[in-house]
Amino acid sequence: MSEAALFDTVKYKTRKMEPGDSFPESLYPEILRGINSFPKVLFYKGDIVTGLFDNCVAVVGSRNMTMYGRTVTRNLVSALCAGGITVVSGFMYGIDATAHASCVEFGGKTVAVMPCGIEMIHPPRQKDLYMDILQNGGLVLSEYDEEFPPCVWTYPRRNRIVAGLCKAVLVVEAGEDSGSLITAGFARKYGRRVMAVPGPVTSLVSAGTLKLIKEGADMVCSAEDLMRLLGHGKGQVIGEHFVETIENNLNKLSTKIISVLGKEPLDISMLSKILEIDIPLLSVEMTNLSLAGVICEREGMYYVS
Amino acid sequence: MLVKINSIAVLGVDVVRVTVEVNIASRGFPSFDIVGLPNKSIAESKERIKTAIQNSGIEFPSSKKITVNLAPAGMPKEGTFYDLAIATGIVCASKGIKPPEDSMFFGELSLDGSLRHTKGAFLAALYLEDIGLRSIFLPLNSANEAAVFTGINVYGLSTMGELVSHITGKMQLAPYKNAAIDTRSKHVSTQDSEVVGQEYAKRALEIAAAGGHNVLLIGSPGVGKTMLSRMFSGMLAPLTQQESHEVTKIYSVTGKIPPGGSLITARPFRAPHHTVSYAGFIGGGNPIRPGEISLAHRGVLFMDEFTEFHKDIIEALRQPMEEGKVTITRSSMSVELPCRFLLLAACNPCPCGYLWHHKNKCKCSVPDVERYRKKLSGPILDRIDIVCRMRDFELKSPDQNVLSSHDSHGNNSEIKMVIDRIYAAHKIQEKRFDGVGTVLNSEMTNMQVGLHANLSVEAKVLLNRAVESYGLSARSYFKIVKVARTIADLGGAGDIEPPHIAEALQYKTSTL
Repeated sequence: MSEAALFDTVKYKTRKMEPGDSFPESLYPEILRGINSFPKVLFYKGDIVTGLFDNCVAVVGSRNMTMYGRTVTRNLVSALCAGGITVVSGFMYGIDATAHASCVEFGGKTVAVMPCGIEMIHPPRQKDLYMDILQNGGLVLSEYDEEFPPCVWTYPRRNRIVAGLCKAVLVVEAGEDSGSLITAGFARKYGRRVMAVPGPVTSLVSAGTLKLIKEGADMVCSAEDLMRLLGHGKGQVIGEHFVETIENNLNKLSTKIISVLGKEPLDISMLSKILEIDIPLLSVEMTNLSLAGVICEREGMYYVS
Repeated sequence: MLVKINSIAVLGVDVVRVTVEVNIASRGFPSFDIVGLPNKSIAESKERIKTAIQNSGIEFPSSKKITVNLAPAGMPKEGTFYDLAIATGIVCASKGIKPPEDSMFFGELSLDGSLRHTKGAFLAALYLEDIGLRSIFLPLNSANEAAVFTGINVYGLSTMGELVSHITGKMQLAPYKNAAIDTRSKHVSTQDSEVVGQEYAKRALEIAAAGGHNVLLIGSPGVGKTMLSRMFSGMLAPLTQQESHEVTKIYSVTGKIPPGGSLITARPFRAPHHTVSYAGFIGGGNPIRPGEISLAHRGVLFMDEFTEFHKDIIEALRQPMEEGKVTITRSSMSVELPCRFLLLAACNPCPCGYLWHHKNKCKCSVPDVERYRKKLSGPILDRIDIVCRMRDFELKSPDQNVLSSHDSHGNNSEIKMVIDRIYAAHKIQEKRFDGVGTVLNSEMTNMQVGLHANLSVEAKVLLNRAVESYGLSARSYFKIVKVARTIADLGGAGDIEPPHIAEALQYKTSTL
């Protein structure tokens, strides 16, 4: 592993907790002790605030996140943060990283369970996110010490901790052979609630979540669904409600663009065909909408943000 | 007797005057020597010259000591065009006649005494007056190249014998008259313009063609990147006379003008394969020859599969793209070659190519894609004015509007309109930069941007807002203004208004 992956241990000291600790009061999460293969020792960085492990929900998903997955993750995590629920995930890029990042952004509590030694950052290029988590009162956990490298078998073992810490696991996007399905499998084994977000049947990264729903997982279509399933009433979403207010001030063409993009994300050529508007004129409108923050572009596709 | 004949030596795309001194001495051991750092092709010319003179029915002074010096003697010389100069010198020296005054002799000899088409004739004629000469004798096949200049006498020869008759006064040669040849490629064929959909990319290429802006097309295999690029060469406006001279110079030196060919009037379109060598791309070798970037001067350098090119080659593009010239330095010499080209690059979104495809599954992991895109380094992307993502589209029903081109009657009036707009925009730019040396909007210096690209107040506000929210570099700022200038030119507008800026932003701000 590259040197960049090594973490500066001066600022955030590594501590450990064991299930047998009893003085003054065990930090080891009670809920994790409920699984039959609970880790004998856990290393962690950051502070364990009271109640951190009392109400945890895992938000996991595909590495190959789509814009849809990103939007949904942010939206649902914001509801979890508002409800004071701790968001647990696996720190992998894609949905996991988005879940952590959104949680930091919305001021919620988050726990990252690493597949490698506690002194390593994996994947290394997410160092900034790692620091963000710790600086905002989050927690980084691992059952491996030092610079134990991540390997094929540490990922599923990490997933068992993710599932074991939480009373429910939410899968946002997952391919057919995704590691998130392993997490969901553990959750089911441990008697935790499994929830999944549906997606288009044509999407490769929704194949796994749709499979979970077919097998009986709870379907989550909105923040309300999620909070109701978690027994939190209706719940609320922080921010994200600006589209309506801006919409009043938009001209006719912009309204048309938003309504079309609201149905499905499109690239500019297709949009011009559908709206029957020339590219130059449409480009001007797209720039204005992007600058207003109403739509956003990713890899050539336009989305309503 | 000693005879001095004028000739040149080629350095990159410039020439220096060389004097070919031929001395025939009766005393001394019979020999034929060429000195003055000739390379292999000149050293071998001894046999060609001797045989050609004999086969022309002229006596070769075999029993004399012949010494040829190429002065200045310290500079290495290369090229087969010295044949005629040396042969003329030998004939004149052996017959005791004076060679024609203020004349240059240029051309390669064949064993039968005829003259072959020789590279560099255009260059020789171009600098003829500069080095103080009036007439040039060269192969008939190369005469058309040289005869584009007025004020000089061009004599096209088919054999050595003709020259000797002319020198000895037996027969007077008439100066050659240029027969202009239109080398412009035929207009865009209908087939090439049948790229389905992709109106966004077509508009991007229209702007690029009008203002000479660099373009990057990204898209899955089969979306039409290569086809659009082929169409692009037909959308370009013809070269101006000044540009035509610059381009012909390079093509003449590299021997890319066919026998009987003349000025190049169509913009070059170079499409090197990604296995191209460094020297073949930038220029180099010994002697230094122009590479692909110089051959694309005033034209298009099309780099298909951009990410497959060697990293060194991609990075080497930085300075030439900015300056429009490349300086190649070797221990023995330094040569400056022009390379003001339009970069048209095309690549896939990921290693397997199907990241954005609606149906084919992408086999790349996220780090794979990131590694792939790292090849498009920041500095290179910063120099590309127009980034265009091409998505494939889902064919929903056979009669869907998407398949038919804009004009349902099957003719391509659309493309003709585009070409008309591009030509008109070129005319506007020609007028704007009259006599400044700049030709297209993309070449404007920052000072010229301030002079010619007047932004309305609203446009300025919009651009500043975009710079802030997208974190654009200073170079990007100017690039956007330049593209906006071209968009305004395409629409015939004087000042740059917010819509022009907004459209230009579309092509720049897209994140990679």
